[in-house]
Amino acid sequence: MPLLIVKFEGSVLKKVRTNGGSITIGRLPDNAIAIDNLAVSNRHAQITSEQGHLVIKDLDSLNGTFVNNQRVKQTSLKDGDVVMVGKHSIYVETTDRGEVPISDAKQPAANAKQAPSVDETLVLDTETRRRMMQQIAATGERSQIAPSRLRVATLVRIKGPIEEAEYPLTGKLTVIGKSEMATVRISGWFKPKVAAQISRRDDGYYLGRGDKVPKVNGNPIWAPVLLADGDVIDVCGVQLKFTIKE
Amino acid sequence: MHWDVAACTDKGLVRPINEDSYRISPEENLFVLSDGLGGAAKGEVASAIAVEAVTASLRGNGSTGKPGRSAARAEVSDDTNSLVHAIELANRKIHEEAMRDPACRGMGATIVAMRICGRRLGLAHVGDSRAYLLRADALEQLTSDHSLVAEQVRHGLMTHQQAATSELQSVLTRALGMEETVEIDAAEIELFPGDSLLLCSDGLTRMVPEPEIEGILAQASDARMAAERLVHRANERGGHDNVTVIVIRGNERSGGWFAKLFPWGRSNLI
Repeated sequence: MPLLIVKFEGSVLKKVRTNGGSITIGRLPDNAIAIDNLAVSNRHAQITSEQGHLVIKDLDSLNGTFVNNQRVKQTSLKDGDVVMVGKHSIYVETTDRGEVPISDAKQPAANAKQAPSVDETLVLDTETRRRMMQQIAATGERSQIAPSRLRVATLVRIKGPIEEAEYPLTGKLTVIGKSEMATVRISGWFKPKVAAQISRRDDGYYLGRGDKVPKVNGNPIWAPVLLADGDVIDVCGVQLKFTIKE
Repeated sequence: MHWDVAACTDKGLVRPINEDSYRISPEENLFVLSDGLGGAAKGEVASAIAVEAVTASLRGNGSTGKPGRSAARAEVSDDTNSLVHAIELANRKIHEEAMRDPACRGMGATIVAMRICGRRLGLAHVGDSRAYLLRADALEQLTSDHSLVAEQVRHGLMTHQQAATSELQSVLTRALGMEETVEIDAAEIELFPGDSLLLCSDGLTRMVPEPEIEGILAQASDARMAAERLVHRANERGGHDNVTVIVIRGNERSGGWFAKLFPWGRSNLI
């Protein structure tokens, strides 16, 4: 039974047996070979078994499907072929090699050392990291905290017993409450020490509950929610507007 | 504030040896955890050097004015800067050892180190070992993984949920020992009575989803029980990797009337 071996940076990510029928490759998780990389289209390519041999078809992917470094629309695959989808390579084995280690014949000598399995942690060298970070930075500009942009998230007072008109969110955690350690200090009787808090996560700023359930745009927040520019936060009689400035 | 601390480590069900290391120094309120990398290369050597070097550097308290030290960061306190410096030292030691001993070539390690000074928590890390805060029964990750998928999340190319199931989670962008210098992340937060902290290797976070970690931490009656349950759960879910956790709990979790009337009455006795 033909075997498809998915590799990334020399690591084996997955091995897929083809039992006839077809196998799709793409970014969506329901693909048989799902590759969550932006260079890969949602439905990128398809490999079908036709009369005992394999055929790969590019499904009008943005960045193309390559077999042995040639861009292809549709072609048959033979033993030893290497399919490139984004930065991932898929090694084709049509003859059963038992448990013999995967051939690295097509890899440059520098990679000839034993390829680690996916469970083994791989650390990118400086050059690879730099290249991949540039690629990521070039494609990703949507995030609130994309490091390539200088953006400042700020809470602007609308009303309520707090001291400042604006609170820039500089730290990892911003506490709203009565505590003397709170960033946004609420004054008055019967206010909780930690009414709510805002955390800066990888994908943006999240508002979570403390001893109170805050509201965002009038809706109570039971689990942390990602804040969007212009959202209005209500907690303990304090109203704040979350803004992001470039 | 008095802290209830417990640690638990296990090699899991798949790996032949445990390459994680940790150290707890109660006198310094210092907690260090490291996950050794490198499979055939000596991951367990790297992680042991990492925790030992960090602990020794901070115990020696001679962390000022040594050559090769990077400039102090203005945004964090001296205590946290010394944590960063200790990790720089650890990086150099692992790198030197890897260069010296052919059997150790290519070894590396993650690190996450925490130091509590009064109400302030100083935190520094490299790699994908994590620190979490449990506050008001909600879990918050304090560290940002130095991994390819986390980088994609930071740039809006992937959601946190997608990253948590990605096959590329084990591709790190930084680790100790790989090069002569390494970029270290440092942060500080203020601690509140009732906060709990968790340091863990990816053997926990790759196996046990965050809501479950949150539940175990929130429900356990003490740090020991929480630590053991977390490791047990990682193994129940497959135990694919070594798993190590350090659980640190503030003692005023459910504060009675006394704590409510005098919120700082006891926590001033830090």
